[in-house]
Amino acid sequence: MSEPLLVCEGLSRSFGGVKAVAGVSLSLTAGMVTALVGPNGAGKTTCFNLITGNLRADAGSALLRGQSIMGLKPHRVARMGVARSFQDLRLFTHMSVRDNVRAATETSAWFWQPGGAAARKAREAAAEEALARTGLTALAEARAIDLAYAERKFLSMARILAARADIWLLDEPASGLDLSSRRRFGELLKEARRQGVAICLIEHNLDVVTELADRIAFLDQGQVLAEGDPQTILRDPKLAAIYFGDREDAA
Amino acid sequence: MIAYFTNLASLGAIFCILAATLNVAVGYAGIFSVAHAVFFGLGAYAGAQVSLLLIPDALVAMVVAALVAGALSLCLALPALRVRGEYFVAASLGLQMMAVTLFSEAKTLTGGIGGLTGIPRPHILGVEVSTLPVALAALALILLATALLMRGSFGRTLQAIRDGESAAEALGKNVAAAKALAVAFACAGAGVAGALFAMHMQFVNVESFNLDQSVLIMAMVIIGGTGTLWGPLVGAVILLSLPAGLAFMPFIPSTEVGAVQQIIYGLAMTLLMVFRPAGLVGDLSRGKSHA
Amino acid sequence: MLLLQLLLQGLQVGALYALTAAGFALIFGATRIFHFAHGSAFTLAGYTFLFATQAGWPWYLGGLAGVVVATLFGLGIYWFVYRPIQRHEGSFFTVFVAAFGVGIVVQNLIGMFAGRGFASVDTPLSRAVEVLPDVYLAEVFWVAIGLSLLLFLLLTLFLTRHNAGVALRALHQNPDLLRAYGLSSTKLSLLAFAVGSALAAPAAILTAMTSGLNEAIGHQVMLISMAATIVGGVGSLRGAALAGLMLGVAEAVALSFVDTQWAEAVSFLVLFAFIIFRPSGIFGITQAR
Ligand SMILES: Nc1ncnc2c1ncn2[C@@H]1O[C@H](COP(=O)(O)OP(=O)(O)OP(=O)(O)O)[C@@H](O)[C@H]1O
Ligand SMILES: [Mg+2]
Repeated sequence: MSEPLLVCEGLSRSFGGVKAVAGVSLSLTAGMVTALVGPNGAGKTTCFNLITGNLRADAGSALLRGQSIMGLKPHRVARMGVARSFQDLRLFTHMSVRDNVRAATETSAWFWQPGGAAARKAREAAAEEALARTGLTALAEARAIDLAYAERKFLSMARILAARADIWLLDEPASGLDLSSRRRFGELLKEARRQGVAICLIEHNLDVVTELADRIAFLDQGQVLAEGDPQTILRDPKLAAIYFGDREDAA
Repeated sequence: MIAYFTNLASLGAIFCILAATLNVAVGYAGIFSVAHAVFFGLGAYAGAQVSLLLIPDALVAMVVAALVAGALSLCLALPALRVRGEYFVAASLGLQMMAVTLFSEAKTLTGGIGGLTGIPRPHILGVEVSTLPVALAALALILLATALLMRGSFGRTLQAIRDGESAAEALGKNVAAAKALAVAFACAGAGVAGALFAMHMQFVNVESFNLDQSVLIMAMVIIGGTGTLWGPLVGAVILLSLPAGLAFMPFIPSTEVGAVQQIIYGLAMTLLMVFRPAGLVGDLSRGKSHA
Repeated sequence: MLLLQLLLQGLQVGALYALTAAGFALIFGATRIFHFAHGSAFTLAGYTFLFATQAGWPWYLGGLAGVVVATLFGLGIYWFVYRPIQRHEGSFFTVFVAAFGVGIVVQNLIGMFAGRGFASVDTPLSRAVEVLPDVYLAEVFWVAIGLSLLLFLLLTLFLTRHNAGVALRALHQNPDLLRAYGLSSTKLSLLAFAVGSALAAPAAILTAMTSGLNEAIGHQVMLISMAATIVGGVGSLRGAALAGLMLGVAEAVALSFVDTQWAEAVSFLVLFAFIIFRPSGIFGITQAR
């Protein structure tokens, strides 16, 4: 097995008294889908926020290709090749679909992008490809706010595709999708896996997890309770009890 | 009569520059500054001093004014990076009020309340020129630059930040840098307008750079429509022709023209916000919830 | 002794700032509307009082008229301006521009009808007497302090004891909760605007009796209220009032170090510093971002 791209160890963060994430260790490997599973409020989104620098960790480390990314600003982490999606999508609502995707290909905040005409062509091509792969080409001129639910979710994916990152952190990208959309989403993900992207997927639907994940990390109350291949994890009755919410200590 | 119209046209071009540049901050970057007149003033004082002390060259004056206003735009960028929404408006109001005090008190630089007088007419390479062509050329250049930048990646970055700051960051955009640049661009443009204004009027004082002026510029952008290239120009022309139009109405006593004009644009601002929040030129569905 | 004199003056001005700021903070807390036209309620109340006394009305009737006009103004602006904007989900900026427009209209109407420049009401209360060597105090000082304290007491009682007051506080903390209980948030918003605007009236009347009014005073009042609300920490009535008091004192005390012109800038310097270094204010808990 190849070296992991991203290695997190002992990530912790509390809000007031609540330990949202308490010592999570997680590693992501190229060409592998790791599903982050756990009940609501388990700390999944917070894990992402700690990795991407949206939140400061109280303790722990995160190494990207051996280099620490702790304490870096979100845009720095992004430029190092970590792309993420948001549970609430956060599309650029008043921009066109194409501009949403174009924006993902441009990282310089300066008046113009570096690299001249050749780089511009490459960016345009990346944007068009992302639109095509997500089936949004026909809607490219529509504004993001006018899209239907599934289209919005695919636009969020298109931005990630266009960003050409090698680590994807996806926060419930398939939730609420109908069956055929979910199948299309699965194809997208498998394609990226073939291309060697390291993917971390937060997902509540266990069917999706079984189909797509190579590994599962089971998170509850900020801790990784179990980690391993999907069959073993999903068959564990104790975890199932926690996941489906009928444990005794439920508050 | 011709002199009257050239004067009006020159002022029109100057205010079009002000409105167009404020629109970059307000319409594209979502930075709602009510301190644009401060940078207009900085440019005017800088341009006037260059003309008075150094050489009365319009180009030099405009460049210096742009540099001064652009550099000091940091005062506005700083709160823009820290806070948003109402808080930023409050900060820019505070900046506006402090600047007026500074302008009236820093007598060696600004001439205090009395202002700077005897500013030479604009020259280019030693030849005296009238303001109008210079102002029009500056306006055209600034509009061209705005159009190019806003349709390109920079404009996309600003709009992305406006619509979703954290998502823009997650795509690798340096939000602080982009905001600071947008503010610097807008303020430098206001500085250019200020230099032109000083050379055109041959006299400047703090009266032209107070909160009322900032609100007037803001009103131009809002009434025309934010986030469009032409909206601010339409707004500027409408609001500037208002006093001229009112002057022809015999039933308004001349002492009250100013007040009537202010009432009209105050009413226009309120009614527009209630009934057509995107402005006259703006696309209606775009105007909603831009914050 | 000069310092003591300035301090007392600062307290008097600050007490009035505290009242207007509390009104602003109450409205913002309950409705999330940054009521930039709050200064207009102040101006209208002050000038109503001025006209009433000039017309020979007794002071209490004039004062009542001022309160009524301010309250009506608050109700009117909510109903005709803010509510339609909120209905089409206008951004805070839409609200700001609309409110600013109202402020401009009020200022110029008053300028047209009441004349421009300072106007004040001279009452026996405004005559200063020497209370300590070199320290002069008018009775209006005690009125200002006493009235502010009284109104705060009433406001606190209202917000903690009265049903509607408790609902107002709840509205601030969680609008959805209220809707679930079936209380109309429109009615409560109206109440917030009525009470908040009425709070500006006593301050305006006392200002008319002391330093005097001018048509542009609304700007100043609005800016101070906003500054106090932010410095005090948005969401904290007590913070806003305290910050208002402090700004008044700071301005007055600054007078002993700098010229009058600079004293005005002191409040804005404080505001600016807070926004950059501590946007949550003194008592604020939530970060502004
Ligand atoms: N910014 C924050 N401030 C305070 N508490 C927070 C913050 N972010 C998360 N929390 C708390 O941390 C805990 C974990 O939240 P998190 O969003 O990570 O859960 P999650 O696993 O993503 O849940 P879900 O499946 O509902 O998305 C929750 O109790 C939440 O209330
Ligand atoms: Mg989550």
